[in-house]
Amino acid sequence: MNLRKRMLNDLDREIEEHIALETQDNIDRGMSPEEARYAALRKFGSVVRAKEETRAVWISVWLEELVQDIRFGLRTFRKSPVFVTVAILTLALGIGANTAIFSLIDAVMLKSLPAEDPSQLFLVRWNARNAPNLHGYMSSGDCPSDLRFGAKNPSGCSFSEPMFREFEQAKVFPGIGGFANAGTLALTGHGPATTVTGQMLSGDFFRTMGIKAAAGRLLTASDDTVSAPPVAVLNYAYWQSAFGGSQDVIGSTIELNSVPFTIVGVAEPRFNGITPGSDYDVWLTLSNDHLIGQSSLFAQTDRRNDAQQWWLAVVARVAPGTSPAQAQAVLTGLFRNGTLHGDQPLFNSGEAPAKPQPIIHGQLRRPDPGSRPSGSPNALVRLKPLQPPSAPGPTTAIPQADNPEITLVSAQEGLGGIRSNFSNPLYVMMMAVGIILLIACANVAGLMLARASARRKEMAVRLALGASRVRVVRQLLTESVMLSAFGGILGVLVAYWGARSIVAFVSHNSRSEGFGFHVSIDLRILVFTLAISVFSGILFGLAPALRSVRASVAPALKEGEASSNAPKRRGARWFNINNTLVVSQMALAMVLLVGAGLLVRTLQNLRNIDVGFDSHNILIFSLNPELAGYKHAQVNSFYRDLQGRFTETPGVRSASYSMMPLLSGGMMMTAFHWPGTPQEKMSESDVLHVGPNFFETMHISLLQGRNFGTSDFAAASASLTPGSNKVRTPVIVNRAFVQKYLDQENPIGKQFGEFAGDGFRPPSPGYEIVGVVNDTKYGNLRRAVSPMMFTPQTSGAAAFELRTAADPQAVLPAIRKVMAEVNANMPLFNVQTESQQIDRILFQERLVARLATLFSILALVLASIGLYGLLSYEVSRRRREIGIRMALGAQTGDVMRLVVKQGIALAVVGAVLGIGAAIAAARYLSSMLYEVRGHDPGTVIAVALLLVVVSLVASVLPAKRATRVDPMVTLRYE
Amino acid sequence: MSTKEQNERIELLQGTLDLLILRTLLLGPAHGHAIAKAIEFRSDEVLQVEHGSLYPALHRLVKRRWISVEEGTSENNRLAKFYRLTPKGKNQLALETSKWGKLTAAIAQILRATE
Repeated sequence: MNLRKRMLNDLDREIEEHIALETQDNIDRGMSPEEARYAALRKFGSVVRAKEETRAVWISVWLEELVQDIRFGLRTFRKSPVFVTVAILTLALGIGANTAIFSLIDAVMLKSLPAEDPSQLFLVRWNARNAPNLHGYMSSGDCPSDLRFGAKNPSGCSFSEPMFREFEQAKVFPGIGGFANAGTLALTGHGPATTVTGQMLSGDFFRTMGIKAAAGRLLTASDDTVSAPPVAVLNYAYWQSAFGGSQDVIGSTIELNSVPFTIVGVAEPRFNGITPGSDYDVWLTLSNDHLIGQSSLFAQTDRRNDAQQWWLAVVARVAPGTSPAQAQAVLTGLFRNGTLHGDQPLFNSGEAPAKPQPIIHGQLRRPDPGSRPSGSPNALVRLKPLQPPSAPGPTTAIPQADNPEITLVSAQEGLGGIRSNFSNPLYVMMMAVGIILLIACANVAGLMLARASARRKEMAVRLALGASRVRVVRQLLTESVMLSAFGGILGVLVAYWGARSIVAFVSHNSRSEGFGFHVSIDLRILVFTLAISVFSGILFGLAPALRSVRASVAPALKEGEASSNAPKRRGARWFNINNTLVVSQMALAMVLLVGAGLLVRTLQNLRNIDVGFDSHNILIFSLNPELAGYKHAQVNSFYRDLQGRFTETPGVRSASYSMMPLLSGGMMMTAFHWPGTPQEKMSESDVLHVGPNFFETMHISLLQGRNFGTSDFAAASASLTPGSNKVRTPVIVNRAFVQKYLDQENPIGKQFGEFAGDGFRPPSPGYEIVGVVNDTKYGNLRRAVSPMMFTPQTSGAAAFELRTAADPQAVLPAIRKVMAEVNANMPLFNVQTESQQIDRILFQERLVARLATLFSILALVLASIGLYGLLSYEVSRRRREIGIRMALGAQTGDVMRLVVKQGIALAVVGAVLGIGAAIAAARYLSSMLYEVRGHDPGTVIAVALLLVVVSLVASVLPAKRATRVDPMVTLRYE
Repeated sequence: MSTKEQNERIELLQGTLDLLILRTLLLGPAHGHAIAKAIEFRSDEVLQVEHGSLYPALHRLVKRRWISVEEGTSENNRLAKFYRLTPKGKNQLALETSKWGKLTAAIAQILRATE
């Protein structure tokens, strides 16, 4: 190695000297110096080639030696198949677990967007000092919006369609596309009624992204006009599964929410939606927004022409080689102009007090229970009304300008989608598998050390015969890297299987039906596997390799194996590399065990939460009669009719409905004025519209007052009718509401939320409390119970809740039959039991707890194998000592204690060190825990006991072997 | 390597240069330029080494431990690498020389027979 370096370093100088000598010779022969030098160079030939060939000599020699080392390694492996098998399996598990988790990280976090030249794509975001004055704001979950009630410095990535069209016409980009979630659509005209997920795209979207058609054609700008016939493009996978990939589908018609759409083509397979993790079945143009009724859910006006409805995400392609800064400046100009100087100023320009506009649809915005924004729990429809930018008043003081701006951020980073839901657990899991790899390496290093002692003689012979130490270390390292390479190959198989199982678990349990991320073993993952294989091979191989050549040659040759039993200081005997390796394995396993324990406790805590209602034996399904053509006024009686039919169905105890089920992951909030507080101050409460018998069906106890009666539904219906503003909406509130707002006051009959109207919002008669019910959890389990009001539901989409006598799934066929009788064209969305729904909102916790448990068991098993291996080795090494002890009268128990004592001592030291590390590491888990602290003593003690018990088992086996030592045989041996 | 006249160019068998280097070093250690000169001189300038090709060969021989390297001073009074035949290299030279003898004899015999 050194020789090679020295030779190559001096090569330049050597060649220079050579040419100089030749030149001198030529001069001596009578040439002119110039001629002489030229002749010398010609004679030498190409200097570059000479250098290259010389270097190649060394490389080929290096390769020859490598082949030699590999051959030799394979020969030695054949001699010790047990060692090789254990080592390779251990490494396969360690490397496989890492590759599996990395392949998930790769799929979720690192994969580039499914578009041509994704680095040219930029997401358009806005920000300002105060929230804009809007009728509605919707984020499809493609990118994070930070727009909270009254909060300063909001930002977001949704725009109104008029704004988007201005961006489009500015022609500062080679392409720009707008898109929005179309939610779940009822599909009819192709077999039985079913549902699909859809996305609306601007006409130029596919061209901008560079997506190709797999069949037919994609959407174009001419499709995106109101007069164009409605057309749809299918997802490739959906085309395969629902239409069998048939070409005949192109040109045929399907009905989405009762509107006929002609299928014009299929997008290329890699495209499921531009945002990572999205998974849409069909794509429509923005021009169809109103047709499929998506718009009407949020406002009665067509949101397409409303500059105060922001709902479109916008991605632009920046021409290669140009900076996005210039385009950003142009967009900022357009955005400022549109929002400050349009018909309705949406931001405060700082020039004059802004005139806020009425929020047309009142304070509540209704979500669509059928719409499932990307299946993300974070993407729930934002229902908080937006506060006007500033309170209008007679004051002439000029308020601070809101300074709205546009920024272009790389679409790869900006379009996070549901990535953020997975990133935290994935990184925690990556840490866990990293720890497993360390344990596996320590384990194999221990095995290698034991083997190295057995090979001391071999090494000594090779050194004595003149092999350089470097060469021997290289040989040993080659062997370890070979082991880990085999482990890596097997590990890829482990990873393939593991990643598939995790994806299967995710897609069965997450709130969405599909897992939009496509996990595959690609080049990046193979490079990762190769890198960690080589890294771990060197990691576990280096120490044993260095140790075996450090040994002095003479004693090893003279005394053989027994020499390792040379007397040492007592301290040194305990603090050696073997013990250290086992202790660190135990400590690392302890870290994983504590982490898994905490996550399992979290899951238990969440499962044991008192949700405030009886979640067993409830069947839930959603439907939206308005999408099937029912008019607003008909919906109420339609629901009553269904409710009656369901209640009479055998097996159903009672039936009710609400705008969305409890614990669905989604929730609604509203704001109102509470009497006695300052006029401009708004109070908040969760809100849910419910049907008759809701509380009886859900087993929510009524604490005070009365349930909703027929007159309450009539009153609620009347309060929605424009012009009849005299009737207060009757509400039932929960205990938390009473505690927050009423204190000692009698809640029954309390009126609030009355609003006289102020020129930009219509007057509202407000609410009157008629009853108080027990607290329940609403959106999800982790959110603390908040003040909540229930109001009578009279229209809109609804989720039915059926309380059944036995298994809720059993009544489903009967329910479907009822639905078929009433209306065959109305699909049921999200059919599930309440328990299944709770499982789904806990899916991330369950996934993490399950994986953490699996990994910690793996870690414990590996660490125990390490301990077992060390003790077995010690027993065989100390056979003579044990034989002498037994000859001197030691009993079986004494011998066993000798071995077990060492095992337990190592485990306890490892556990204690591990507890410290675990408590430090648990801080990274804290955001994932629920009602359990990072140093929860119960968990720590329980897993420490588990570790010690398992170590005991691992120690007893070699101890048993020690007792079988025959003193006569061992004393005669050697 | 080529003969002086282009039309008399002879393609030498692979490894021949190695053999020539070993043979040259049998007389004593030498640096690269001296080796090249010696080969040319001893072949009556029939064989001319392309000097650049000398170095890969020297390195190959060093790596095989047939020759060793030591620092010395050249005629120019500058530091230079001197190559010296090792005992291993001496054995190799004997082996290669006898092989070469057999090879040329055999080829000569065949050529005579076909003439």
